[in-house]
Amino acid sequence: MSKNTYYDLDLSQTLSKNRLVGLWRLFKGYRLFYLGATTALAVATISRTGIYLVLRRFIDEIVVPRNFGPDMLIIIVMFIGLALFQGTFTFISGWLAAKTAEGTTRRLRNFLFDHLQRLPFAYHAEAQTGDLIARATSDIDALNRFFSDQAIGIGRIILIFVINFVAIMQLSPRLAWVSVVATPAIIAVSVYFFSRVSKAYEAYQEQEATLSNRLQENLTGVRVVKAFARQAYESYKFDQENWHKFSLGKRLLSIESLFWPISDIICGAQLLVSYYTGAVMALNGEITVGTYMAFIALVIWIIWPLRNLGRLIVQTSTGMVSYKRVAELLKEQREPLLEGDYQAKDNVTGEIIFKDVCFEYEPGHPVLNKVSFNCNPGDVIALLGSTGSGKTTLVNLLPRFYDPTSGLITLDGVDITRYPRKYLRSQIGIVEQEPFLFSRTIRENITYGVQRTVSEEEVIQAAQFAAVHDVIISFPNGYDTLVGERGVTLSGGQKQRLAIARAVLKNPAILILDDSTSSVDSETEIQIRAALEQLMQTRTTFIIAHRIQSVMDADLILVFDKGEIVQQGTHEELMKTSTMYQDIFNIQTKIELELEKEISSVNI
Amino acid sequence: MSTFDEFEEKDYGKLSTPILRRLLALLMPHWRWVVGFLLCIAFVSIIDAYTTYLSAQIIDEGIRAGSHAAIVRIIAIYGGIMLFQAALAFGFIYLTGVLGERVRYDMRKQMFNHLQVLSLSYFSKTPVGWIMARLTSDTERLADLITWGLLDVTWAVVNIATAAIFMFKINASLALIVLAMLPLLAVVAFQFRVRILYHYRLSRKMNSKITGAFNEGITGVRVIKALAREDDNLAEFSELTEGMYQASYKAAWLSALFLPTVQLISAVGLGFVLWQGGLQVELGVMTVGGIQAFVSYVTFIMWPIQDMARVYAQMQNAIASAERIFNLVDTEPDVKNRTRTIQTKSITGDIRFDNVHFHYETDDPVIKGLNFHVKQGETVALVGPTGGGKTTIVNLLCRFYEPTSGTVYFDDVDYLDMKLEDIQSRIGMVLQTPHLFSGSVRENIRYGKLNATNTEIEEAAKLAGAHDFITQLEKGYEQDVGEGGNLLSVGQKQLLSIARAILAQPELFIMDEATSSVDTLTEALIQRGMERLMAGRTSFIIAHRLSTIKRADKIIVIENGQIQEMGNHRELINQKGKYYNLYTRQFRQELEAQYDIFTHPEASQT
Repeated sequence: MSKNTYYDLDLSQTLSKNRLVGLWRLFKGYRLFYLGATTALAVATISRTGIYLVLRRFIDEIVVPRNFGPDMLIIIVMFIGLALFQGTFTFISGWLAAKTAEGTTRRLRNFLFDHLQRLPFAYHAEAQTGDLIARATSDIDALNRFFSDQAIGIGRIILIFVINFVAIMQLSPRLAWVSVVATPAIIAVSVYFFSRVSKAYEAYQEQEATLSNRLQENLTGVRVVKAFARQAYESYKFDQENWHKFSLGKRLLSIESLFWPISDIICGAQLLVSYYTGAVMALNGEITVGTYMAFIALVIWIIWPLRNLGRLIVQTSTGMVSYKRVAELLKEQREPLLEGDYQAKDNVTGEIIFKDVCFEYEPGHPVLNKVSFNCNPGDVIALLGSTGSGKTTLVNLLPRFYDPTSGLITLDGVDITRYPRKYLRSQIGIVEQEPFLFSRTIRENITYGVQRTVSEEEVIQAAQFAAVHDVIISFPNGYDTLVGERGVTLSGGQKQRLAIARAVLKNPAILILDDSTSSVDSETEIQIRAALEQLMQTRTTFIIAHRIQSVMDADLILVFDKGEIVQQGTHEELMKTSTMYQDIFNIQTKIELELEKEISSVNI
Repeated sequence: MSTFDEFEEKDYGKLSTPILRRLLALLMPHWRWVVGFLLCIAFVSIIDAYTTYLSAQIIDEGIRAGSHAAIVRIIAIYGGIMLFQAALAFGFIYLTGVLGERVRYDMRKQMFNHLQVLSLSYFSKTPVGWIMARLTSDTERLADLITWGLLDVTWAVVNIATAAIFMFKINASLALIVLAMLPLLAVVAFQFRVRILYHYRLSRKMNSKITGAFNEGITGVRVIKALAREDDNLAEFSELTEGMYQASYKAAWLSALFLPTVQLISAVGLGFVLWQGGLQVELGVMTVGGIQAFVSYVTFIMWPIQDMARVYAQMQNAIASAERIFNLVDTEPDVKNRTRTIQTKSITGDIRFDNVHFHYETDDPVIKGLNFHVKQGETVALVGPTGGGKTTIVNLLCRFYEPTSGTVYFDDVDYLDMKLEDIQSRIGMVLQTPHLFSGSVRENIRYGKLNATNTEIEEAAKLAGAHDFITQLEKGYEQDVGEGGNLLSVGQKQLLSIARAILAQPELFIMDEATSSVDTLTEALIQRGMERLMAGRTSFIIAHRLSTIKRADKIIVIENGQIQEMGNHRELINQKGKYYNLYTRQFRQELEAQYDIFTHPEASQT
């Protein structure tokens, strides 16, 4: 896979059965930062521990013996020096950790975005949009928290614990052991608590979603609510969900409000046992007063951070789940865009041959069966047939959204699977019945995908050509009007015309058209039809036809039934050879007759 | 920028007296809870400062004085106080948390109820997402400020005050040194906090843009592939992630710098304290325990300052949230009951539009001088191009909007003199895109008449022609219809909304006929259901199907907000005007669809 400037690592190669190994591989390129962050953290922690040991000397060598000479100043300078040291390294640690976490996440986001848009069509046809978005956003957020909080946080707590424990060991092994008696209890309680909280929190969050849905339904259905005068009923229903959320919040809080005091009591008891043991030892002269003071400062750093360990452990497990969900996406194979050994020098002319082309989405269920036809550059090919007869599948094969299961498609005499997809798609323009527009400005939507800078005049010309310019300038912001939820809502016909304008700018050699014009008035319809006809000139055009007009002028008409071409030829040929086609055509005349009858009947 | 700038959210708001008063009003109904948690946290805070003092006493009265008994006594007091403090902690966490939930509940309820009163015009110009954010993130932020924020500030203030008292008790001159540090600490902390929050909020905004980009990248993947735009897209997307990176990185970087800076200031202060403290021990006015106490006070005094700085930064955002919430709650509905209204038991009778004008914006009239008279029981078909004003007429008829001039008469009474509820509760409406609510089929039909019995519901479903498909559903009437009815087909949704309207027994029936095609069987069922609804009732149909239009007693052709033609089918056909053109065009289309020439070529042989 080609590398690019937006991510320097192919993350699909980092996957591993062991999730921790997989996560570690995601750090690649940032591992030195991560190790640096951890080392800096260790230095900072040692410095802080050092501060308390200096304090001990201050008491034992200065205050108690009343030796206030230059020694005192030296100690105070050491004291501030260590603080400076601690501060600097704390900062370095936080800075490197942020670089690691945010850098890794940015790379992951970029990679995943690119990965998703390059996964084959077949994958997107199956996948649920909501699920993909959840993986790309909330799961990535969870991983970001893992990188920035949990991965560093767990290390921090362990480091603090070990360093302070070793320091107390130096002061007095007995004190050291006394001060960690309750550690297992604190960890156990916090893990138990946070796993319960995370469950209660999930329920609370789910209710939040329910409540939002309720609200959204009310807002989108406001006309129904008002038409039935159901305001009071709506308030009642909302209140039920609202109250339920309040109750769930109360439940969550009752767990929370129990944990902190209980862990306070355990930690407090541990603290007091330590204080007492230390004080008695100091009283008996086993340790100095300075040692006692250093000890009670250090012991706090052993105990209190442990309460957070439970939270970090529980959150890590959710981070692991998110990693698994993201990894499932990463292991999907991309569709290679540049692969293909035939490098065309120029644009294609548009001569297309289908030879015995078969296609099936699922083995054993053919959607296209032995489709064969030829067309010359600039031909118009009309596809007729019922929904599901294979028309859309056939046009999906041209830009290689799918490849045929068997058979051969050639373009300008070359097998299309030999063309790189990117080149092939640059030669094909598609105008759908109700095209997807992006929430950008109208101008950006028209120039979308045109791989060159386009002048204002060109955009306007294209819009005029597509008979949509007048509509656009009727908006207050003209071409800068936003499309979508935060801007204007366009009708199906307007969207279609923007897509036509886009196709004009793209100027492809091959055109795929869905010719049904959705509900527009007749004048607009005439304009669209004229635009389309002009667009079709000089291009090989495939029309998914819904109307007789678009069929009559076609160079080749393909009549589909159940994935097979049952008739093909020009209008004249089919009129001579196919009674079925004659019948289709005659309907038009028949309709006119019926209309006359209908009109004259009103006065009877 | 877009025309929707008014919906761009500003992040900062200033605390003003009216806002403060309204914030207090939110807490007033629950003042006992507020007093409770404030008392708890004040005690906790005092105890926090007091235990430091106790630690010092262990040294001075216990170790230095050589008294084992004193040590035991002080540790015992310490233990007792800790237990007490744990009980208080339980109290304040529970009280504050539950109060926060309660305030959220109250605010959501108040806003939701107000939304029910607001007019349709409000919803047509306010994006759904904007309103939703008021009830979610803004509510969250505001409730946090007036509960946890208040708690943190109380703790901080009491903590500093108590610590100051104990420090002065131990040694006044050292206490002054420590207090002199406070302003510096405060300024640094506040500056950091405001900046950190700024970048944090920026990163949240970038995050929602990234979500939007993923959404488009996935739903628009066909277009992206067809246009081979992958590389450009990635480049654009990476600008977003770069922005996100910069914002989160800056926030994290500042946070990383914040604590060390504050700690360093404390360390310098501590150096002073040790130096001065040492000298004072020499003079005999300071004890070893006293030094220990000061070391603790100086080390921990940054926490209350920190807390206050955080609350201060959050407050600016929360006030902006409050302004938006109050703005929503203060919005007056455009359409509401007049001060004097007439009691009406029925809206049956003739309906008359007398020179009705309507516009949303003054220079852009939508309806221009509408005059028509509909007799009780007649069916009116409204036809004409999209945007011509058909929907607006229906909205005026339901009094979702009121005419800017002219009058609508129900049985010769100006409908502005009637009560909104009296009008709207007697209207039955079937929308073009039927809107169902999540819940069961039964619940959705019952929406038409809340106290309907199961028999009545099934009766209505039978009349609407919906009963057969309902009984074929796996759970029948109890089947869940999904969010917005998504688990049902469009045709099924239409049948249910007709059943809903039948159950309501409306006096006036309004229907926006669907343009989307459904299968022929369902179509026939819908037609029959409609006929049953229209029988004997005054009905307004925004009509798209010829059969509906032809049957109407009165056809009104609307274009550019004006009546172009009006009459029955025969009259209008003979006029050979706009209606004639519209009809013949539609006729061809319908027949084409009926013969289904391209979907079933064999159909033509019959």
